Amino acid sequence: MLLDHAALSQQLRDRRYFADEGLLTAIRLAIALGRPLLLEGEPGVGKTQISHVLADALGRELIRLQCYEGIDVAQVLYEWDYPKQLLSLRAAEVSGTPVGDLYDGEFLLERPLLRALRSQAGAVLLIDEIDRADSEFEAFLLEFLDGFQITIPELSTVTAAVPPVVVLTSNRTRELHDALKRRCLYHWIPFPEPERERAIVEAQTPGLSALAAAQLVRSVNVIRSLSPLKRPGIAEAIAWAQGSLALADEGADWTEALRASLGLVLKNADDGALVAAHAVEVFADDER
Amino acid sequence: MTSVEDHLFQFLRGLHLEGVRVPANKQGEFFAGIQTLAPSTTGQLYWVGAATLVTSEPDLRAYDEVFRRFFGSPATLVVDEPSAEESETETAASEGEGAGDALVVGPPGGSGLAAAHASQDAVRRFAATTPRAHELIRQLCRELPAAVPTTRSRRHRSGGRRQRVDLRAIYLDSRRTHGEIMRLHWRHRPTRERRVLLLVDVSGSMKQYSPDYLRFAYAVVATCPQAEVFTFGTRLTRVTATLRVPDVDAALAALAQVVLDADGGTLIGPSLHAFLDQFASMARGALVLVLSDGLERGDCTAMVAAVRRLSLLAHQLTWWSPLACDPDYRPLTRGMAAVRADLDALTGVDDLATALAAVRARFARTPGKGVHV
Repeated sequence: MLLDHAALSQQLRDRRYFADEGLLTAIRLAIALGRPLLLEGEPGVGKTQISHVLADALGRELIRLQCYEGIDVAQVLYEWDYPKQLLSLRAAEVSGTPVGDLYDGEFLLERPLLRALRSQAGAVLLIDEIDRADSEFEAFLLEFLDGFQITIPELSTVTAAVPPVVVLTSNRTRELHDALKRRCLYHWIPFPEPERERAIVEAQTPGLSALAAAQLVRSVNVIRSLSPLKRPGIAEAIAWAQGSLALADEGADWTEALRASLGLVLKNADDGALVAAHAVEVFADDER
Repeated sequence: MTSVEDHLFQFLRGLHLEGVRVPANKQGEFFAGIQTLAPSTTGQLYWVGAATLVTSEPDLRAYDEVFRRFFGSPATLVVDEPSAEESETETAASEGEGAGDALVVGPPGGSGLAAAHASQDAVRRFAATTPRAHELIRQLCRELPAAVPTTRSRRHRSGGRRQRVDLRAIYLDSRRTHGEIMRLHWRHRPTRERRVLLLVDVSGSMKQYSPDYLRFAYAVVATCPQAEVFTFGTRLTRVTATLRVPDVDAALAALAQVVLDADGGTLIGPSLHAFLDQFASMARGALVLVLSDGLERGDCTAMVAAVRRLSLLAHQLTWWSPLACDPDYRPLTRGMAAVRADLDALTGVDDLATALAAVRARFARTPGKGVHV
């Protein structure tokens, strides 16, 4: 299943994801060594997106587990369907038939981790924003990530037929345990260089001219260099391109359209003021 | 051992010397990665190492530096045709060759090298903690939990207030009565402590107070489940892990090794900005304590903006200043005058006793002396 470098790169490109060398290597290692891949980076650089694309490229099902504070085992592993058990118990009581096995697969609600293990064709398991979960949950994950198996006391031990490809993302709101990091491959996704970002924006915004894309990417990079409160990610750049294109299609001048849809890149009043103060640099149109 | 393996091991050793901790299993993965992917360029070797050996972004910069020292620039070196078994040999065989490389590798891991280690001459020693201080620390540990503001946990617990029906308990109970529900069970959302974030000024002007401030930080880390401590003077240092040891004097001694900007100048604004750039979400909904005299050198615009943002993020922003212990103190310096509107409280704290008083006042009210804004 190990794709070679060029093939993987092409597969991702076909799905409009432009990964750099580092990310490609990390993904290939994750698949080859069967290790989880921990991705960090600024918000909006494509940490979550890569698992969607990867699942598609590998022809596997994507199972997403969004972490949040207080997430517990019942929400990620499995849970018994208590109302259903209750009803079948009552039904058996009323009709006088013997109560069957109430801890049967029929009453088992699969949650993401169990689903990832049971997936016949293997899955891509995305554990999103692991830093939002509390550290108890992280400790629990260690066991899962080590052997890709889960023990259900009433049933049996479930082991993955095909080990899932696991991608974890973190926004660094807290330091992850060393124990977890040790088990993972790590990759920091930086902001892309302008060339790559232009390719991404163009691929995601059909109908955008190369010149317009170049100006937009230059503006985004200038905004990032002004060190605003929230540096715009690729996601914002794409939204900006799509928004501006919509306005430009209605006949607005491109630079005007960029200005008008600035709200898609900047989500903070202070940042708006900052860009307004540096409008000349941000919107400089050196192409004409 | 071949010279190639030798070189790779020396490389790992070099990483260790630069402070990048690489446990044995990671080293194993590094070699397994080389074996499987058979990197044919230094660029590829670079990324194999980056994925397997590095576990955080700061480490990546140190890694980058060491890699360049051992293998040259990742973009320029080339190796022979790789074969699965002997890729290690080939990887290193390429060393020193400078031929062109078709693969273009982007500038790895952001800008520049890690800041050079500051001189160790300035390593600071703290006096041993007195028995009286030990007693105060114990007292602080006892009283902190009640003083930290709380919030509702997202995690349900059974019993308690009747907020939500506990189906699982009801079902388990009803099995004993043949499916008849005799009694309802409930779950509720218990309260939990908010995160506590400490930003401790260790600059020269705070020299006489910072040991006690750091002892207080030690007590917070030892007590509160979600605590984070940073020190700043001319730069920001995260010291939570350093403080998390059983003995307070050991913690302070370890701090002296880590905090290299102690007793130097003050750059409050830039330090707070550095914090906000990297760790802003730690302040969200937290109790934020800034322990500083607020004497910013030079332009204080950066400090004012940073404090304003902190106050927007935090649940409660409290400023402890040794100067405020003086009953006549008024925040008149340009910096403090501008930020006082953003503070929930400005309290005078100059040692552990006043810190305890502030904790008893739940971080907000005036502990006897001092100024409350």
